[in-house]
Amino acid sequence: MNDLHLVMHGLAIKKHGSAEDVAGVMGLEVETVRETLTKLVAAKRAVEAQGRYLLSPAARMLLDADYGRFYEDLRASPAFQAGYAGFERLNNTLKQLITDWQTIPVRGERTPNDHSDEDYDANIIDRLGDLHERAEEVLNKLASALPRMAIYREKLQRALEKAEQGAIAWVSDAKIESYHTVWFELHEDLLRLMRRERSE
Amino acid sequence: MTVAFGQWTLGLDGADLPARELIGGKAWSVARMQALGLDAPPAFVVTTEACRAFLASGDTPPALEAEIDKGVAWLEARTGRAFGRGPRPLLVSVRSGAPVSMPGMMDTVLNLGVNDETEAALAAECGDVAFARNTHKRFLDLYAHIVLRAEAPAFDDGKTPAQWRAAIAQQCGAAPPTAPREQLRAAVRAVFESWNSRRAKRYRQHHGIADDLGTAVTVQAMVFGNLDENSGTGVLFSRNPTTGAREPYGEYLARAQGEDVVSGKFTPLPLSALGERAPLALEALLQAAHKLEQAGRDVQDIEFTVERGKLYLLQSRAAKLSPHAAAPIAVALAREGLIDAREAVLRVTPEQARLVLSPHIREEALQSASLLASGEGASPGVGIGLVVGDSDEAERRARLGEAVILARPTTSPEDLHGMIAARAVVTETGGATSHAAAVGRALGLPCVVGCGKGALAALAGRTVTVDGRTGKIYDGALAIEAPDEREHQAFAQLVQWAAQMSPLRVIPPSAPEAAQAVDLTTNEDAADPEKIAAVLAALKGAKGARGGAVASEEGVRAAIRAGLAFIVADPVLPPLLAAARGATKA
Repeated sequence: MNDLHLVMHGLAIKKHGSAEDVAGVMGLEVETVRETLTKLVAAKRAVEAQGRYLLSPAARMLLDADYGRFYEDLRASPAFQAGYAGFERLNNTLKQLITDWQTIPVRGERTPNDHSDEDYDANIIDRLGDLHERAEEVLNKLASALPRMAIYREKLQRALEKAEQGAIAWVSDAKIESYHTVWFELHEDLLRLMRRERSE
Repeated sequence: MTVAFGQWTLGLDGADLPARELIGGKAWSVARMQALGLDAPPAFVVTTEACRAFLASGDTPPALEAEIDKGVAWLEARTGRAFGRGPRPLLVSVRSGAPVSMPGMMDTVLNLGVNDETEAALAAECGDVAFARNTHKRFLDLYAHIVLRAEAPAFDDGKTPAQWRAAIAQQCGAAPPTAPREQLRAAVRAVFESWNSRRAKRYRQHHGIADDLGTAVTVQAMVFGNLDENSGTGVLFSRNPTTGAREPYGEYLARAQGEDVVSGKFTPLPLSALGERAPLALEALLQAAHKLEQAGRDVQDIEFTVERGKLYLLQSRAAKLSPHAAAPIAVALAREGLIDAREAVLRVTPEQARLVLSPHIREEALQSASLLASGEGASPGVGIGLVVGDSDEAERRARLGEAVILARPTTSPEDLHGMIAARAVVTETGGATSHAAAVGRALGLPCVVGCGKGALAALAGRTVTVDGRTGKIYDGALAIEAPDEREHQAFAQLVQWAAQMSPLRVIPPSAPEAAQAVDLTTNEDAADPEKIAAVLAALKGAKGARGGAVASEEGVRAAIRAGLAFIVADPVLPPLLAAARGATKA
């Protein structure tokens, strides 16, 4: 895979991302990403505002065509297929878990979790740890076919450990690389590689 | 005295309350219920001392297996059932129970003791073949996941349990044993081993918990709510958790097992249904609820099962309350003398008060409103603005000061910047667990999901009012209003109690003194909860402040640290509760 493609792919996942964001999620050197982004901007394939980048509509079409071309082998790989199927299974568990984290059921009606009940929160972080152990297996399968997938394992692990240590924003805060943020970026990454549509 | 089966194992009979360090949290709560004279299903416990011996030697103590045999025999005698044999088979649950709860410990294995023979006996006893099969399947699934710690294969309902066991063996590397006693031995060992799981170790290290405390194992008889017409299962709240009214509220399912209530597949009946079939059980339940509420000094959420007319309490814990119920219940418990005023103030979070006092659509406006679309309310609150179908456009317009509502078929990580800019988010497909719902709640944004394919495209360019609680989207900007905290009895009382605890005063804008406050409304940094502390610290000689994020929890903390005498807020209760909490923690 060439750097140009990876930078564009990274920018599709980290929309409005900085060079550091794209480098972090794609496992590239920041300098390489910066140079590539400069080229993309010069070729009008991306626009820059305050150090953050956005793909142009034409670049998005080119990128979509790339997925068809570059990942045929990957899509046919049994390890990657097994990993992807495993991810989709866990995805439902994760979504329910995040819902349970954000809301507390009171007689069937869900009310926002204000995180005043430490036991309730601890139980969900425990479930998240359990899910993470299963996610590691899935990510190992994915990484055996596409090594950069290991980055997600590390990012998820980092978010989990912070949450376990009491920094609970790392479960689902949308503005940081919380477990939920990273998980959905991974999902977006996989959907693009597999050329699937998001169902919800 | 609790029955001892030797050095490592105790039978819980309610005669006394063994130390939590010895029997772990789960068994302790069973023993506590028994000590109150209430019936929990019979249980015995393998103590933390046995676990410590296991950890020291790397193997279960030699005498332990014989003691567990005695424990099983004791359960058989108390239940009139036989472990692993018909005609009335005894099944058990196995749980870990550390003195302090921690992540990474083994979860509960239910229905242990089931195999082909006991499945058939169970089917005959309750006259329900499908239930017996499901009981078996659930055990195999839990055993694979929890004891073998592996991803269980998806079960095909057309297969036999023998085929399931083979599938597990193939995928997980070992098959669940068929001999009940072997199942139990392996489960007890798995509990001990879970003490040293990576997660449990990490947690103990971080929280300074000794590595040699060890965990207990609780083995409890399963009771069945589906044996006959006089059996069933349900949930009881000692008070209404939605309204806060002082009346028990419950749901009951006749001829059903615990999971049926939770699954939502069946419609539960009101408690009166239990009264018609098993009046004595209902009376015992209501008495138990009162006792548990008095002992726990809080509203109880009780799970129970009735087996052939006899009541068993499975679990009791402090109930989760709706934001609307929290304040009336806290004040009522204080007036009844179960808790003091200080505790009542601490039971209501600033967030709960803020939610109840947040603006809602006026009743009159709602009556003449025209409904444009509706879906599932996924995150509460009211948002009014112009509907925009694209995240980039939402961000652009919001930057120019327009109020926008983001409407998308679904959302993906690409839409985050548009969601942050919006006053509310609505989607066409997806449920309460979808990406839009999760991010909407994380951002505290009103959010409605699942309005239906194509339901939103036509709304672009219109001004709408979104109600994230009810899931409705109305045409136009509807009139909204916020409840008045002074007209709310429980809130007025909490304002008074919290004021006595708070190190600073919170006054409404109408108070004469409010005019003396430094107004931060136009200070951009003051609007950011992360920067408010620096803004307040820089105020020299000010007595009070208003505007910006000063009424947020961060703002209140910063105001106390900056030595302010008062802040101005409307409503006053949420910041006042935050101040009272801050004072008790300092």
